Amino acid sequence: MKRRVSDEATKCWVTGMRDAFSDALYAIARRDPRVILVTSDTGAVCHDDFKAEIPRQYLNVGIAEQNMIGVGAGLAMAGHIVYTYAIVPFATMRCYEQIRVDLCCMGRLPVTVVGIGAGFDYNTLGPTHHGTEDIALMRTLPGMTILSPSDSVLAAACARISYETPGPKYVRLDRVGLPLIYPEDATDFAEGLTHLRKGDDVCIVATGRMVMRALEVADALARKGIAVSVVDLYRVKPVNVKRLLEIMRASKRVATIEEHFLTGGIGSLVAEIMADENACLPQKRFGLPDCFCREYGPREHLHSLFQLDLPSIAHGIADWVGT
Amino acid sequence: MTVAAGAGHIAPSFSCAEILVALYYGGVIRVKPSDPAWEDRDRFILSKGQAAVSLYAVLADLGFSPLEELLTFTQKGSKLGGHTEDTIPGVEAFTGSLGHGLSIAAGLALGARHREKQYLTVALLGDGECHEGSIWEAAMLAGHHRLTNLLAIVDNNGQSATDFTASYLTLEPMADKWRAFGWEVRTVDGHSFPELLKALRDVHAPSYDRPLCIVANTIKGKGVSFMERKPIWHYRIPVGEELKIAMRELQWMEP
Repeated sequence: MKRRVSDEATKCWVTGMRDAFSDALYAIARRDPRVILVTSDTGAVCHDDFKAEIPRQYLNVGIAEQNMIGVGAGLAMAGHIVYTYAIVPFATMRCYEQIRVDLCCMGRLPVTVVGIGAGFDYNTLGPTHHGTEDIALMRTLPGMTILSPSDSVLAAACARISYETPGPKYVRLDRVGLPLIYPEDATDFAEGLTHLRKGDDVCIVATGRMVMRALEVADALARKGIAVSVVDLYRVKPVNVKRLLEIMRASKRVATIEEHFLTGGIGSLVAEIMADENACLPQKRFGLPDCFCREYGPREHLHSLFQLDLPSIAHGIADWVGT
Repeated sequence: MTVAAGAGHIAPSFSCAEILVALYYGGVIRVKPSDPAWEDRDRFILSKGQAAVSLYAVLADLGFSPLEELLTFTQKGSKLGGHTEDTIPGVEAFTGSLGHGLSIAAGLALGARHREKQYLTVALLGDGECHEGSIWEAAMLAGHHRLTNLLAIVDNNGQSATDFTASYLTLEPMADKWRAFGWEVRTVDGHSFPELLKALRDVHAPSYDRPLCIVANTIKGKGVSFMERKPIWHYRIPVGEELKIAMRELQWMEP
């Protein structure tokens, strides 16, 4: 049974990110019997459709992520289109070397690694369940495509994009992912990023849940007369470098916001691109410092501990810009 | 090829030489050297990827690639590396990192079942490799799903890279472990063709209802007296007098 969640912004009941992705994947799997979902005992309710209606396309390998990736590779070699599914740290780190060798070294197999619980999504479960290094790790892997949707509409699109994209993919999901950023009928996500807002003082590049934070910051700064451009970088690899540079160059500065360690995340990525392309702009990075979060409470509370809350970022940028 | 290259794992390759010969020349693994991508071929995964030189020799002898290519082993521009890569004709999987092959093989066997294919999937494991926990994750899965189209052979030479496993982390009782994980288990002398072929007789029409594991008791460095059961020869190439002795004991004849 799918859960509908209340979107506080629109007061509508909509499908959360996790269910939007699994619903879209289920629709694909109904059409294509090659699609198979492999889980390590995760995602109970959102995979009910698979279990009940197309059980041959659903495989629970137990709490054994290394085997999940190896079996996924073997299934792909046998002609399947494979999705593996686990909470972010276990989906990516527990079996990192299997992903590296079995999926990336070997034949660029059509396996999509789905990680649930980006950043502090599992806010009550502590650092074992935080997804705070995955982008850095996954983007070092040759041939890996990384998708990091910012809302349910884009999450559903990521199911389709991952199905159509050859080679190994990583999809980084929130459980809920609200409020919606994109209209429910949006379908064109071929560009790899979306220029959501225009402004020439600061260009904010964000991914995942932090895209909504970037939009909030843009609104807050607009009231202070600071014009902010916002980019949703939902395809973290390969980056659409040409388009990203074009957008960033229209602003005087670049800020990056990510619910991920500063080491190796999208702030690093943007700095690397600017350095490589001889296009350096002043940059300020907002993200998680070099320590684990051993605090609990609402996700917003955790954000405030690391200056990822709206006031901290808005003040940080306003001070930087000099107003 | 190892002497020419000054590289390669000779002793781990010698311990499974007869196993490979039994599989490829004893009617177990069905492949077409002229068509390496033949859809219905049996799939062989050399999970102990360090035994690459034995597999390369077999594949070249069968005609997957020219015999002369063996002399390029690990040399500049060669596709024959110290571990097997899936881009080499006749090689299915990229191995060398231990503990991966049985999961891949289990996935292939499950996929074959789902897609109603008749091919057999075979994984050759080292016993030291069985220290990797992922082997037992895969063993559990294969046992649960009763993958009768999956064959694992353990090259049970009692040694790993640096030592005898019994002296630091025993793997015994090896056969009982596989049995407990839901496998049909047969123990053989891994250097005896009659024993190997007898144990492999029914893999294409299984008389059992679960995956089959052959525990093949072997000698690491088999065939060269000074290499046999000597840990130092895990990754060492004979030179000078050693080479002469080895060639004599192996009854080497100039081609």
